[in-house]
Amino acid sequence: MQKRSYLGTFGIYATVIFTCAVLLFPIYWMILTALSPRTQLREFPPRFWPDDPQWGVFADLLATQPFGLWMWNTILVAVATMVLSLTVGVLAAYALSRHRLRGGQGLGLFILTSKMLPATLLVIPLFAIFKSLGLVGSLWSVVIAQSTLIVPFATWMLKGYFDTIPPELEHAALVDGCSPLGALVRVVLPVAAPGLAATALYAFVISWSDFLYARTFLTTSESKWTLNVGIATLKGEFVTDWNTIMAASLMAAVPIIGVYLFLERYLVGGLSSGSDK
Amino acid sequence: MIDFSSPRHRAKFGYLLLAPAVIMMALIIIYPILLSVDISLQDVRIARVGGDREPWTLENYRWLTSSAEFWNSLWVTAKMVLTVGGISLIIGLATALLVNQKFRGRSLARLFVALPWAVPEVVATVIWAWMLDSSFGVINWALLKIGLVDQAIQFGSNSTAAFFAVCFVMIWKGYPLVSIMLLAGLQSIPEEQYQAARVDGANVWQRFFYITLPSLAPVLGVTSVMTTLWVFRDFAIIYVLTQGGPIGSTTTLSILTFEQSFAFFRMGQGAAVGVVTLVICAFISRALVGRFANSVH
Repeated sequence: MQKRSYLGTFGIYATVIFTCAVLLFPIYWMILTALSPRTQLREFPPRFWPDDPQWGVFADLLATQPFGLWMWNTILVAVATMVLSLTVGVLAAYALSRHRLRGGQGLGLFILTSKMLPATLLVIPLFAIFKSLGLVGSLWSVVIAQSTLIVPFATWMLKGYFDTIPPELEHAALVDGCSPLGALVRVVLPVAAPGLAATALYAFVISWSDFLYARTFLTTSESKWTLNVGIATLKGEFVTDWNTIMAASLMAAVPIIGVYLFLERYLVGGLSSGSDK
Repeated sequence: MIDFSSPRHRAKFGYLLLAPAVIMMALIIIYPILLSVDISLQDVRIARVGGDREPWTLENYRWLTSSAEFWNSLWVTAKMVLTVGGISLIIGLATALLVNQKFRGRSLARLFVALPWAVPEVVATVIWAWMLDSSFGVINWALLKIGLVDQAIQFGSNSTAAFFAVCFVMIWKGYPLVSIMLLAGLQSIPEEQYQAARVDGANVWQRFFYITLPSLAPVLGVTSVMTTLWVFRDFAIIYVLTQGGPIGSTTTLSILTFEQSFAFFRMGQGAAVGVVTLVICAFISRALVGRFANSVH
């Protein structure tokens, strides 16, 4: 690595800071708007610094909108989807990783291609099915619909993690008289724990971001709305109350941004498989 | 009781583990896809499972080929794919090259650069809707301030402006993943190649065009296919920002499918649009799957 000139170093920092500033500006603007007094939002020029932050906006939000309910519904759906896809995904991924099964390769390809299904197509037959099962308006409809994307995704991601664990590990356990399922649960899963955590959090993030399924299946039952449906509805109202919307958006984004900060090294690390070392 | 630890039954154990996933995918993916083809071949308004069914007909596909809405949405989708895909790829590559440099605070920069990826689509869209507001939006204020426009742009009612507004949000939300994938690609290029090129006297541009780009080609291919499919599939950003309007200028195939099925309740026609979209996506992703298939086993 040759030494870079002072000018070059300055150029890199200037570009990095400029790029980050442009990219992060919308997030800053969301926070600023949420905290601004309502009257200030109708002022030109806009203010770029919260002189008078209104922390009461979050209490207002809880008082005037069923925000707590939306948050709770979103959490229920995300947790149920996560548990379901992780359970099914772990078993399938382990089978695909360890056993050379007939049709295994085909299934692998199927899992990969399921990512390309247009969700707006899938939502039509799912609606017909849920209608006949009486599931429209129930949170389960959203859990099942989201699984169409998340189960294949989790399976694929977990297979990648299992592939990195040497099979000698379970062989030793099997020789010691452990059952195959016991070997998976007691030997492989603890070793794969970081991979399990990363997959679970991914599933959580995807579920949390869903709008299409919640919008289609839950629209008519307001008590089942998720955050995204609620926020989109607030935005569609005739008089748009931007600081309430931004406060709601901020609270909807914070858990996911938190998860992301934790996940980030897996995100880059998983894709580059440690070549950065 | 079968003893699964004996080698003879090992495969059976594998199939047993696979069974829940296979059954689930058959029920929630394969069956619905077949059902959607079935619905697209019926003249139905609200599709049901069981009970009376309409006879099969090609009516919906005939409607499709003669409908201006369908051809318009195909054209809108193509324009959007090219705009979003092209710009994401260029600035994604630039960003990846930037954060691949060695400098202090690099991991923090990488963290920030990819942050929009973590913002839920609906949230990202409402933030931009507010920034693009025609009366009090900060973007119109900035454009007026620097004198780029002499009156506020009406992102809600001007077709061209609405189209680019949707593209902006998609790029902001989607390009971080592009730069992460390209960064991973860059990191897998061995440093020795650059050193050898430097010894041979290659300058920065030669190193970029003769080493970086060729080594990155497969990743660039996969990334552009993924971005394309993402634009094809996206619903939340367009629906929340413009609902496909004004006058269809942001109605992609995905939005048209939804609109026909759940706004006009013509599920037969909606399903026909969706099936055509699926076929197009399948052709596009053949490139992707072909590449991945080689690395699967």
